[in-house]
Amino acid sequence: MATIEEIKMVLRDTLQLGDRASTFDASTPLFGSLPELDSMAVVALITAIEERFDLIVEDDEITAEVFETVGSLSDFVERKLAS
Amino acid sequence: MSPSGPRPLFLDGPAGPVFAIYHPPDPQAPHDAGDIVYVPPFAEEMNQSRRMAALQARHLAAAGTGVLLLDLFGTGDSGGDFATARWETWLGDIAAAMDWITAAGRPLAGLWGLRLGAALALEAARTRAGGVPRLLLWQPVTRGRTFLTQFLRLRIAAALGGEEDGANRESTESLRRRLAAGEAIEVAGYSLAPALAAAIEALDLSALVPPPGTRVGWIEIGAGAGAEPAQAAPSPAAARVIAAWQETRPEDHAPVAVRAVPGEPFWAIQSWLEPVLVPALWPVSVDLWQELGS
Repeated sequence: MATIEEIKMVLRDTLQLGDRASTFDASTPLFGSLPELDSMAVVALITAIEERFDLIVEDDEITAEVFETVGSLSDFVERKLAS
Repeated sequence: MSPSGPRPLFLDGPAGPVFAIYHPPDPQAPHDAGDIVYVPPFAEEMNQSRRMAALQARHLAAAGTGVLLLDLFGTGDSGGDFATARWETWLGDIAAAMDWITAAGRPLAGLWGLRLGAALALEAARTRAGGVPRLLLWQPVTRGRTFLTQFLRLRIAAALGGEEDGANRESTESLRRRLAAGEAIEVAGYSLAPALAAAIEALDLSALVPPPGTRVGWIEIGAGAGAEPAQAAPSPAAARVIAAWQETRPEDHAPVAVRAVPGEPFWAIQSWLEPVLVPALWPVSVDLWQELGS
């Protein structure tokens, strides 16, 4: 899926993951598992997603579930793009 | 430290001491191009970008431009707590920095700012009698409202996965209501005063038209930027602001010079070991600064 690859790119650039990001797939856990993903990184990630996909993330959409895995984040972006 | 190396100093700001580091122009440079003041970005963005700014100052100094790097009041090594920081105080800090340069008998070449610091530099240039010759804006914050939302989100994100994940959790909306009611809000270790939040909220860069005599350089940094920095098309956000300025500025005035540098948003990336650097930005900034002065 194109969005997964784009999400991996955004994660790589925003969290400074380098080559590690290329090993990610939909099941890779993010929030709570990736030490780089602190609150500042979450906000940087949301901002990067908003700019890249030209969408607006609402406060109540910033949940642990959305940031659980690469796949859950990519599903979220796809739902936003489809709505 | 050599006599011509960077030296720390304190300025008399309107609310108290303001820490600064002065990078004098390299005596070996082809010519002395005067001094500029650097205005840092907001809160954690300042810490993340400190090294980028210091290294840019070195590049400018090597090319003959002296740089005064500021810690705004309530931040860094300056006096005061962040809770006492106000927009007007910061404008006064920048004015004090410009006065320090002219009192030293040095020509004031202009101001340079990053993100919210770019907006502050622009407003300081507007209120300076006679304006300033040049302005260098790095990825300016264009809409204060959007910027404040992003800052308040740090608090929302910090609660992620906690017990507040239900219906009673905070929102940027509820935080804004508390600010409007006069309450200071703690975000990522920074106590944001209602007055400062209101000033940021009201910021619209398109309304801050640069003074007639000021030449403006605008550099965007991002993954979307082209590989060729010269003559980039501005992002929609930058284009909106520049178009609004152009409507009010005299037609014969030099247009805003826009550049785009590919790279990561170094001010936004929390980095525990080495700071994120975008070295391509340094020569582009030096060239643009010299072009604005020619």
